[in-house]
Amino acid sequence: MATKEATVFIIDIGKSMSEHNGGRNESDLQWAMHYIWDRVTSTVATGRKTAQIGVIALRSDETNHDLSGEEGYQHISILQPISQILMTNLRDLRGLIKSSNTENGDALSALVIAIQMIASHCKKLQYVRQIVLVTNGRGAMDTDDLPDIAKKLLEDSIELLVVGVDFDDLSYGYKEEEKTDLKRENEKILKGLTEQAGGIFGTLAQATEELGMPRVKSTRPVPSYKGPLTLGDTGNYDTALSINVERYPRTMVAAPPSASSFAVKSDSAPDETSAQSSATVVNGDTAPSEGSLAAVNMTRVYQIQDESAPGGKRDVDREELAKGYTYGRKAVPISESEENVTKFETSAGFEIIGFVPAESHQRFTDMSRTNVIIAQKTDEKQYLALSSFIHALHETDSFAVARLVAKENRPPLILILAPSIEPDCECLIDVEIPFAEDIRSYRFPPLDRIITVSGKTLTQHRNLPNDALTRAMDGYVDHMDLSLFDRDEEGNPTEYLPMDETYSPVLHRLHQAIRWRAVHPMEAFPPPPAALTRASNPPEELIKAAKPFLDKVQATGDVKKVPPKQLSRKRARDTIKPLSGLDVDALLHQDPSKRRRVISSENAIPDFKQLLASSEDPNAIADAARQMGARVQEWIERSLGDSGYGRAIEGIRVMREELSEFEEPGLYNEVMRGLKERLMKGELGGDRAEMWWLVRVNRLGLIDRTMSARSEVDEEEAKRFLAAK
Amino acid sequence: MAEKSNFSRRDEEDEEEEEVDEGDYKTVKDAVLFAIDVSESMLRKPEASDSKKADRDNATTAALKCAYSLMQQRIISNPNDMMGIVLFGTEQSKFQGEDPNSRGGLAYPHIYLLADLDVPDAEDVKTLKQLVEDKEEAARLLVPSSEKSFNLANLLFCANQIFTMKAPNFSSRRLFLVTDNDNPHFANKDARNSAAVRARDLYDLGVKIELFPISTPTHQFNRSTFYDDIVYESTPSDPDAPAPMSSAAKPSASGDGITLLQSLLSSINSKAVPRRALFSNLPLELGPGLRISVKGYIVLKRQEPARSTYIYMQGEKPQIAVGKTNVIAGDTARHMETTEIKKAFNFGGEQIVFTKDELAALRNFGDPVIRIIGFKPLSMLPIWAATKPATFIYPSDEEYVGSTRVFSALQQKLVKAQRYALVWFIARRNAAPMVAALLPGKEEVNEEGAQVWPPGLWIHPLPFADDIRQNPDMGDVVRASDELVDYMHDIVRNLQLPKAHYDPKRYPNPALQWHYRVLQAIALDEDMPEKAEDHTIPRYKQIHKRVGDLVVEWGQALDQEYAAHAAKSDSSKKLVAGLKRAAGIPGDGPSKKAKLLAAAGQGVGDDEMRKAFEKSAIDKFKVQDLKDWLYGKKLSTTGKKADLVERVTEFYESK
Repeated sequence: MATKEATVFIIDIGKSMSEHNGGRNESDLQWAMHYIWDRVTSTVATGRKTAQIGVIALRSDETNHDLSGEEGYQHISILQPISQILMTNLRDLRGLIKSSNTENGDALSALVIAIQMIASHCKKLQYVRQIVLVTNGRGAMDTDDLPDIAKKLLEDSIELLVVGVDFDDLSYGYKEEEKTDLKRENEKILKGLTEQAGGIFGTLAQATEELGMPRVKSTRPVPSYKGPLTLGDTGNYDTALSINVERYPRTMVAAPPSASSFAVKSDSAPDETSAQSSATVVNGDTAPSEGSLAAVNMTRVYQIQDESAPGGKRDVDREELAKGYTYGRKAVPISESEENVTKFETSAGFEIIGFVPAESHQRFTDMSRTNVIIAQKTDEKQYLALSSFIHALHETDSFAVARLVAKENRPPLILILAPSIEPDCECLIDVEIPFAEDIRSYRFPPLDRIITVSGKTLTQHRNLPNDALTRAMDGYVDHMDLSLFDRDEEGNPTEYLPMDETYSPVLHRLHQAIRWRAVHPMEAFPPPPAALTRASNPPEELIKAAKPFLDKVQATGDVKKVPPKQLSRKRARDTIKPLSGLDVDALLHQDPSKRRRVISSENAIPDFKQLLASSEDPNAIADAARQMGARVQEWIERSLGDSGYGRAIEGIRVMREELSEFEEPGLYNEVMRGLKERLMKGELGGDRAEMWWLVRVNRLGLIDRTMSARSEVDEEEAKRFLAAK
Repeated sequence: MAEKSNFSRRDEEDEEEEEVDEGDYKTVKDAVLFAIDVSESMLRKPEASDSKKADRDNATTAALKCAYSLMQQRIISNPNDMMGIVLFGTEQSKFQGEDPNSRGGLAYPHIYLLADLDVPDAEDVKTLKQLVEDKEEAARLLVPSSEKSFNLANLLFCANQIFTMKAPNFSSRRLFLVTDNDNPHFANKDARNSAAVRARDLYDLGVKIELFPISTPTHQFNRSTFYDDIVYESTPSDPDAPAPMSSAAKPSASGDGITLLQSLLSSINSKAVPRRALFSNLPLELGPGLRISVKGYIVLKRQEPARSTYIYMQGEKPQIAVGKTNVIAGDTARHMETTEIKKAFNFGGEQIVFTKDELAALRNFGDPVIRIIGFKPLSMLPIWAATKPATFIYPSDEEYVGSTRVFSALQQKLVKAQRYALVWFIARRNAAPMVAALLPGKEEVNEEGAQVWPPGLWIHPLPFADDIRQNPDMGDVVRASDELVDYMHDIVRNLQLPKAHYDPKRYPNPALQWHYRVLQAIALDEDMPEKAEDHTIPRYKQIHKRVGDLVVEWGQALDQEYAAHAAKSDSSKKLVAGLKRAAGIPGDGPSKKAKLLAAAGQGVGDDEMRKAFEKSAIDKFKVQDLKDWLYGKKLSTTGKKADLVERVTEFYESK
């Protein structure tokens, strides 16, 4: 990867490049620049000093280069000598590349200048050299030196890439009608040149089309473990097996580019910033320009509980603090000298624990990304040894289970080792599998039968598919098969959307946007390339063919969306009964403490719910809401610090839930208005700002019309109510 | 669902960008209160038996041991969850802040609050440990009340108050009731009714009662006698509770090989963690226009030791200091609000700035969904196609009626046809889209009939082209002959793991266990553990016994084959280099004495090193020699010479 690169772009900016052709709504130059900017910015994005670029304008108004005195070298300007391109260069180039007022300037002369630029810059050093010529082929060319140019390109191993505006390309399937003779001739000359010099000749339409293809960055493999893979104790038994291996990543999630935080400089007032800003303004939120940004620093402060301090909390110095851990609620300090006391000491090693049949490995237990394990490089004996191991696993349909400590004192990992045999690579693939603690044993009812409370097993039930649904699903799954849906280059059926044709959407979208903004600060972002969203929907053709089967699943499955909360006073809350079906409601009516219809402070929530459930009378409901509201206020008022807030919040939450189910949003809203008023006035035991903050985080504001049709509060009012401090 | 957040830290909220995947889902806290029956029958000693597996604990002690084990486990796995323990039917009584010796009006007579509901403190662990291990302590406390009948309604209201006060807005609150008495109020209808009323209160409060019944050899616990009036199917405040699991905790029968303790532990363990949904009612789109709703659960997650914190030591008792990050503007040292912070990307030596809205829009690839793109055979999922743990999904009819049956049909079809669905998966609003394989998961149960893997589907994230690394260049493939492979066959066949599968339950994470074992020792002032238990270390003796000879045979075959191979390609320049390298390996092949370099006699031998150590002259050796020697001892070979010397010195000093 560290190879140096030098690329010179020759851009035709002749007068005719400003024409709009082929029904496009942009000029040929604008169209061509999509391609060039993409190439240039993707190089800039790598941030590599060794990826260098030069830019030459062809058919420019001016002439600016070393050979400017020579005849036939007019109207060619070096806009950018070969170097690493930074934002400043990009900005300059953006200003410089504009169509000229001349049609003069020889593409081949520009080529000679580009060759010279590369020769004097790269000398005889190791470089990947490339010249990219983008032109509409409508300028005159002096072809005398053609053979020499071809020879020189080959000698210096410079790759020539000619990209033409509306050039004919039969392999791509494009032919321009009504082409001028000059252009036809030029195309022939350039094509001939690329053939002689081993270059590439293409049409711009194809080049821009391929821009959407995300580029995958390749990374040099770095081993995470080098050492013996052993079976048995090599220290104490002479029957132990040991093979020297190396372990490299096989998958590694590529992270999207990460943004850093900045502050807007204080000396640039907001309105000034937006005036200067070259960035777009969205919803009044200004993206400030580069110059107005200041770095930010993070400082960390530590606080402890201190009853005597205002607010009950006090800042403490880092020096006053010891490092440690929590054990339950207890703080366990660990002195510096004992820092590693909780560290589990291990020595590096890669040991086989045993073998399992391949089919016993559940794929869903894969815990990590994967790695490849190969024999120690260049040691053929190790190759042989590992090869026998790989083939034995393969032939016996087995996986190995192994314990890996990649480096001394790292925690051990347990891996599955699976054989992988490809024509040019024999290796083991490893993936981490769980320890006992990594599994939460959640239990779920079976999906193919229902076991009733009484212990009976049912195979027919509304939650189980009937035969018709099973058959419909069979058909649908079979007709949505992707395994041979795509065609390869030869037209043979092949897998649709294999993994190497899916691209990380966020990663590429961000890169695209960053590059776009760098050269088009004022314009809206283009849509994401189709390649990024290809996996977001089933292929149309396939889904069309499978439609009848899908309809059948729909019909037999009888899937219906649950309507938003049923509107009925007699709600779904059918009388709640314990497993035995005992009529507890009847008991409640008899219970002396319940008969008084009072919501007690200690048992408020059950009392409240039971009062509501047992009453049809609106007045009784209103009374329950009032009582509950009063309890909540009491809890807050009597709260020491925040001790009662949790109960109050829960009380409010239950009220909100129950009263909206009872279609009495008004009662709830009334309670909340009263509560807020008293809170704000400090009537509930002083400053209770934290309590109100909790109401806000838990989104326990007024019930508005979007939640309940019977509410008289609109969304705006609800928002204001919650927001106001 | 009420959320109690730290008021003072509100500024930090929603600061993080889209980086964490699971971490920023709201966690749901759980509070468990154990209520353990202390009665004559619960305290009755099991019958003496010679069998190793026979019970030695009475039922109360077994329950306390379970609670102890669960407490230790939860400190590791759910450090923010609460737990408490009450004993009921005891002679003594104790409640929050009440003096057990005070005369008169005890609120909850014959209820002893052993550990109040809270995040467990080291003291709680200690108390419990003492009660379990110290016979005298147990004899003092575990005394059944002299009164004939205990009022269960009182216990239920006591639990009600504990939950109301200590965990008012936990979304999961559970009362674990351990008893062997299936008919506590057989003669008293009023007591029975008031228990039912109090149970209803708990239900309305959102507390779920989990009953762990205990049967005795002479009496089979019968739930329907009384407890079916107390227990409800699910709680209204736990919308994530799926259809009820009917399988009752198995009443243990003594003497059948499974002890009461084991049986109780297993049924409690199955309820140890409340099911917490990662997402609820996410649409699973089978095709355009056909959606069902599913819930997602994190069943697999790498459990790591909690991060270290800072502790303030100057106070009365050590206290955890809460850290808070302030953002300061670099130019003015002004304190900044999160909303003022701009995000920019480095590009070409400058910053490209985006507004928050722009970034959000760029990341937005549509609404949350699991959308099926089509199906592929499982054979098209190569073993290397993995990036992170899968998410389990299970249907829910809350959003779409019929979800469960359609999901079930899909799951059954995929299991049968050995296929997976390729899906486009957006877990949350603005979450990065994933392409994943929806793998069918079959229900698996163990010998005892307990579920090991739930039936459902698993979202197994697939790598993108960007995430796939190329295989390292290996040069020419050298393939072992069939004969050599055959030798290896026998080794593989003879070293199968028990029951021919990897059972994670048998492999606790040794590093994690050690971490908490040491912390516990410090926290409880216990002796430091000496040696860590590590079940991941292979059974060397068995390996030697079962395949030792086979390995030697394979080693000889390898030597022969290698010699022949080397002779054949002697002229190859490349191989000469290979041979030279191979010379570093002991001549008789890796099957014997695999100490890589030292044994070959070229490196520094142990004697030599020891002598140097005694003369403090280790630094006289060359770096390479030190490295080779360390390598032979499986020690790290990184660092400067001084580090290497120190490591060697340590090696001898620790001997």
